[in-house]
Amino acid sequence: MKNSIATLALAGSLASALATIAAPSAFAAENTEKCYGVAMKGQNDCAAGKHDCAGKSTMDFDKGSFKLVPAGTCTSMKTPEGHGMLMPA
Amino acid sequence: MSLGTQRQFAAALTDPAVPVPQGLTAWNGPQPQRRFAVYRNNVVSGLTGAIASRFPAAETIVGEAFFSAMAAEFVRLHPPHSPLLLTYGDDFADFTERFEPARSIAYLPDVIRLEAARGKAYHAADAAPLDPAVLAVLSPERLADVVFVPHPSLSVLRSPHPIVTIWAMNAGEAELRPIEAWVSEDAIVVRPHMTVEVRRLPPGGAAFLQALAEGKRLAAAVDIASEDASAFDLSANLAGALQTGAFVAIR
Repeated sequence: MKNSIATLALAGSLASALATIAAPSAFAAENTEKCYGVAMKGQNDCAAGKHDCAGKSTMDFDKGSFKLVPAGTCTSMKTPEGHGMLMPA
Repeated sequence: MSLGTQRQFAAALTDPAVPVPQGLTAWNGPQPQRRFAVYRNNVVSGLTGAIASRFPAAETIVGEAFFSAMAAEFVRLHPPHSPLLLTYGDDFADFTERFEPARSIAYLPDVIRLEAARGKAYHAADAAPLDPAVLAVLSPERLADVVFVPHPSLSVLRSPHPIVTIWAMNAGEAELRPIEAWVSEDAIVVRPHMTVEVRRLPPGGAAFLQALAEGKRLAAAVDIASEDASAFDLSANLAGALQTGAFVAIR
């Protein structure tokens, strides 16, 4: 790389890195994410407070119960009750 | 107790084949063998327990019985050199690599290395992660020559096995399920605040972070990472490094 091009590329990458710091990281802990509001009753992986855990959900598409889904696919999931959510409601 | 007796005492502690040191006496009889056996057993089970508490995911993978037998063999061959148990087991991964009964579990040593890195990060000095604003005010010309100071808790690991996935599943961080994509995984282990974080690194990420941690300039680290993986994404890796707190300062 020529120096001037390299400098520009670095600066550009830094600018976009700084802009994406608040977004989900490329350094992933998991290749799944917790997706709320998409699990059928009894099919949830776990939940926030409402019931003990896996398989205990009593409602289809309960917005407080999640299902582990491949990372990045949650909010694009459509149910009769609306889209999947990354936070419980 | 003479130095010779002490040496003999220490050798007999971890090796049952070595006879009980001369001159020992016991409160309940002239034969100290049984009392010495109790002490010997306590030493080995204490050290085995220390190893088990440092490598819980490895213990889950191979099962308690296998793990304690393997750890006892390690204790026998590698007794601690320091009274600080927090570093005991740093070479446990290398031992398991050569431990014949564990040969079939090719990924085990790397999972143990990951757990060792977590222990190291846990006990490392506290340090505040680099504030991204420090980079934002740098002039573009300065950027290529920037050197990053690694966080005291930082480790970067590379493995031909999916070690982060295997570790997460056996540490209770992820649901246990078949691993469909048996791919190599690189990991970053760091403790920016109170919690030790383990993250999977994108292509070239490990080479990038290792180069920076060694004190290479940013431009050189980018070249190394691009050579390591053509899919290396500089902006995603920079963002990841800043998010995880892998570095504390720039020079």
